[in-house]
Amino acid sequence: MLDFDGSRKARRREAAISLAVLLCAFALFLLPTAYQTSIRQAIRGTILRPFLSAQAVLAVRRASSLDVTVLRAQRDSLIAVVSAQATLAEENRRLRELQGLRARGGAAFVTAEVLRLGVGPAESTFMLNVGTADGVQVNSPVVAPEGLLGIVVEATEHTAQAKDWTHKDFKASAMTSDGKAYGMVESRRGRSREEDLLALVNAGFHTDIQPGALVVTTGRGNVIPRGIPLGVILGIEEADTGWRKNYLLQPAVRPEAVTHVLVGIGPPHNDLSQFWHNTPSDSALRAAGRTPVRTAPRADRLTTTTGQL
Amino acid sequence: MATRSTPSFWVFFGLLVLVHFLLHIGLGLGNSAPDLLTVALLLGVRRVRGSVAAVIGLLLGLLNDSLSISSFGADAITLTLLGYVAARSRDLFEGDSLLFVAGYLFLGKWLHDLGYWALARDTARPDFLGQFLLHWPLTALYAAGVGIVALLIFRAATGEK
Repeated sequence: MLDFDGSRKARRREAAISLAVLLCAFALFLLPTAYQTSIRQAIRGTILRPFLSAQAVLAVRRASSLDVTVLRAQRDSLIAVVSAQATLAEENRRLRELQGLRARGGAAFVTAEVLRLGVGPAESTFMLNVGTADGVQVNSPVVAPEGLLGIVVEATEHTAQAKDWTHKDFKASAMTSDGKAYGMVESRRGRSREEDLLALVNAGFHTDIQPGALVVTTGRGNVIPRGIPLGVILGIEEADTGWRKNYLLQPAVRPEAVTHVLVGIGPPHNDLSQFWHNTPSDSALRAAGRTPVRTAPRADRLTTTTGQL
Repeated sequence: MATRSTPSFWVFFGLLVLVHFLLHIGLGLGNSAPDLLTVALLLGVRRVRGSVAAVIGLLLGLLNDSLSISSFGADAITLTLLGYVAARSRDLFEGDSLLFVAGYLFLGKWLHDLGYWALARDTARPDFLGQFLLHWPLTALYAAGVGIVALLIFRAATGEK
């Protein structure tokens, strides 16, 4: 039987070559992550570089078009924060000296712009316009004013790729802000990205966490610093027979709304709870149907503070 | 659909790929931009042999996969398979009408989303039926619609069928 190529033999040859190409694709799929990373970075650094640069330029233009009154308010807020922290830092240093304790490493951040990767395979990830040259490394926490957005998973010299909390592999050791209940926080996928939530899993069965309670990172594992808000409790998800309870959380940060972030470059054993005062962020409280009680939004300090906090 | 391979068509093919990454990465539009990569593949592979179609699929899939941190290679496999099957589909059906091309693009994009979902490790959402019956058909319809408009512009500019 003849086909468009002229012969059955030609068709078989075509099928054999196609099969070889398919096997190549499978080999790429099954490659160890380290090799995959090299290929990914090579493609991103060459063919896709112009597109990534274009978005970085757009992000800078967008930032420069911010309302000047907003910038002025942030500057004033920054001055207030710096003045207050200088006094506290000095007091803290003297007390530590009196007790013979060595100085603790300060929390350090670099500001970064979030670059969206609008393709299916990059779902739940984003790029940052900072890299190893800025002190960013794998596992650096990515923080928005409301709380933890995600973690850096790959870093090159001037860019980094991070996964946000909606990624299925995202996990963080967490506790309620009063320290009474502990567990792991992981993502719960909704029917659409906007419906994604977080869940505090494996909390002790004896714990009774009330809706609205703030859940923060514990700092265990020395990856994510302690005290960063993750979300507020919405209600119980399930109580299994293994004496554990799972709670659903309203996330503190919606990834789709974030454009600018801070990336932690300081030692991961720091306690950052001072920056949020362990109260639920306004957005998280509103999402949970509660009224914010704070008069001064602590998280605004993070948006205005660059470098050493 | 025409199966003649001309330089102007491959310029059109390259433009579709370029615009895809410009919209999705350059402007960061995400799902609000159509999947022109699959449209380009589906239109392009009808003009080449099965093995060449598989290679094109592999290369386009690799470009997309370079942005994935946990499903590297999934789109390469999906587009390789889709490219080969779409190229071989010339033996089964042939047509130039816009309705035929629209149906072909719709089906191809739907199959792509299904294949990628089956392989990817980071996008499996629990509501499979909702994705299969609502989300994927809608994105396929969107891609087919934009593909038809692009093809009409190409035909008007070059006079090719």
